[in-house]
Amino acid sequence: MTVVNKSIVIIGAGHAGLTLAREIRANCNTTTITIISREAIRGYYKPNLSKALSMHKAPDQLVMKQTETIAEELNATLLGRFTVIEINSGRKEVKGLLNDSEESSVMTIPYDSLVMATGASPIRLPIERDLTTPLLSINNLEDYETFRSRIEQKKKILIIGAGFVGCELASDLISSGYEVDIIDQCEWPLQRSMPEVMGTEIKKAMAEQGVNWHLGVTLLSVTKNEQGAMLGSLSDGTTIQIDEVVSAVGLIPNTRLARGAGVAVQRGIEVDAFSQTHQPDVYALGDCVEYQGVTLPFIAPATHAAKALAKTLTGTKTALALPALPVAVKIRACPTVVCPPLIKKGIWQVQGAGMNLEAHFINERGQLSGFALIGQCISKKTKLASECIPTLTPIVDINASREAVA
Amino acid sequence: MATYQCPDCGYVYDEKVGCEHEGYPAGTQWEDIPEEFPCPDCFVREKPDFEMLEGGK
Repeated sequence: MTVVNKSIVIIGAGHAGLTLAREIRANCNTTTITIISREAIRGYYKPNLSKALSMHKAPDQLVMKQTETIAEELNATLLGRFTVIEINSGRKEVKGLLNDSEESSVMTIPYDSLVMATGASPIRLPIERDLTTPLLSINNLEDYETFRSRIEQKKKILIIGAGFVGCELASDLISSGYEVDIIDQCEWPLQRSMPEVMGTEIKKAMAEQGVNWHLGVTLLSVTKNEQGAMLGSLSDGTTIQIDEVVSAVGLIPNTRLARGAGVAVQRGIEVDAFSQTHQPDVYALGDCVEYQGVTLPFIAPATHAAKALAKTLTGTKTALALPALPVAVKIRACPTVVCPPLIKKGIWQVQGAGMNLEAHFINERGQLSGFALIGQCISKKTKLASECIPTLTPIVDINASREAVA
Repeated sequence: MATYQCPDCGYVYDEKVGCEHEGYPAGTQWEDIPEEFPCPDCFVREKPDFEMLEGGK
């Protein structure tokens, strides 16, 4: 175990931030860790938000660890409901407002290393509405609590977006007795992660459970008629009656704080193979970053990045390598595993029949660079992941390879 | 019979139930599961990361 007497401040208490803290503690007992978050800090597994109904869990039952337990286990200072006002990367300080239940106070926290794990926010579509309530989207436990209270006593739910979250939510809702409509401008569900023949099978399997698909169209407006019923107008001219709308159209990295701190930002916060930004001693990981131009908004890359960064911060400089990482998509009607290709150029090759399909994405050099599996074929995920080209190859440490040669 | 839990997603491996679709029939002991066994629900954690819930050695 290394001895490092420095102060690490982590902004964000989602999966990336909390995993990083846990990994730092696994390597080192002596660093001071402070975790700040604008939300209340609770330990839960975010992907469970889109399957909690079928798990028969109320939102608060998804909390695996409360603040006090996390603070004790990590021997860290946790500051929830903390709004960052300013990051001064010159003086190495984070200034913010701590909102206690009674009063709020300004705090300045000095750091030796700062880690931004600020996550991403739901993309807001420009949909015309005459409702006073904002369009729901689910990106954290607080959103999910709102969602669950709003769908109580309701029947027909419209989901905007047929990607991972949209499909999982639809599966969860339909399995729990709701009526579900999904709308997306794409031609088949999970279009960016699988070929049409496979998406069509998922569409069919979910339709048999009762999901109403509206694909290749957009939602123009949500209005209430004179009787108080909610109506959705689609671009193909149809109108559907619904009780609630949820948007699940993807995420955009939260980069406002990074920009304020003078850190280079493209779509996400730019980091190198050591999760370091362009500012010294400022690092970033999770949904808020981009690696070599791509964002990887999944759990597994964040875990890998957290493990590597924890080593770097505790004295063992470690480059991030990302093998091909399959993701299970929880669709009850059709078991699905995808490992989305990050490139556009290539072709899908499909084997199998009916609901048991295996699709390989082959790049221009003939290499397997992504795959998708449904039905019984999901058992091949581990084998295919080992054959697939890595998502991210680290920059080889020149010094290390020289030593190896010597 | 013992149970082990994935620290990330909460999946529970129960020796009594096994994990049929990963190739481990009911009754498969935890010690017979390979080290590189990924959590079948989230794929993020592997066997060494699992936490013992009850009855393990």
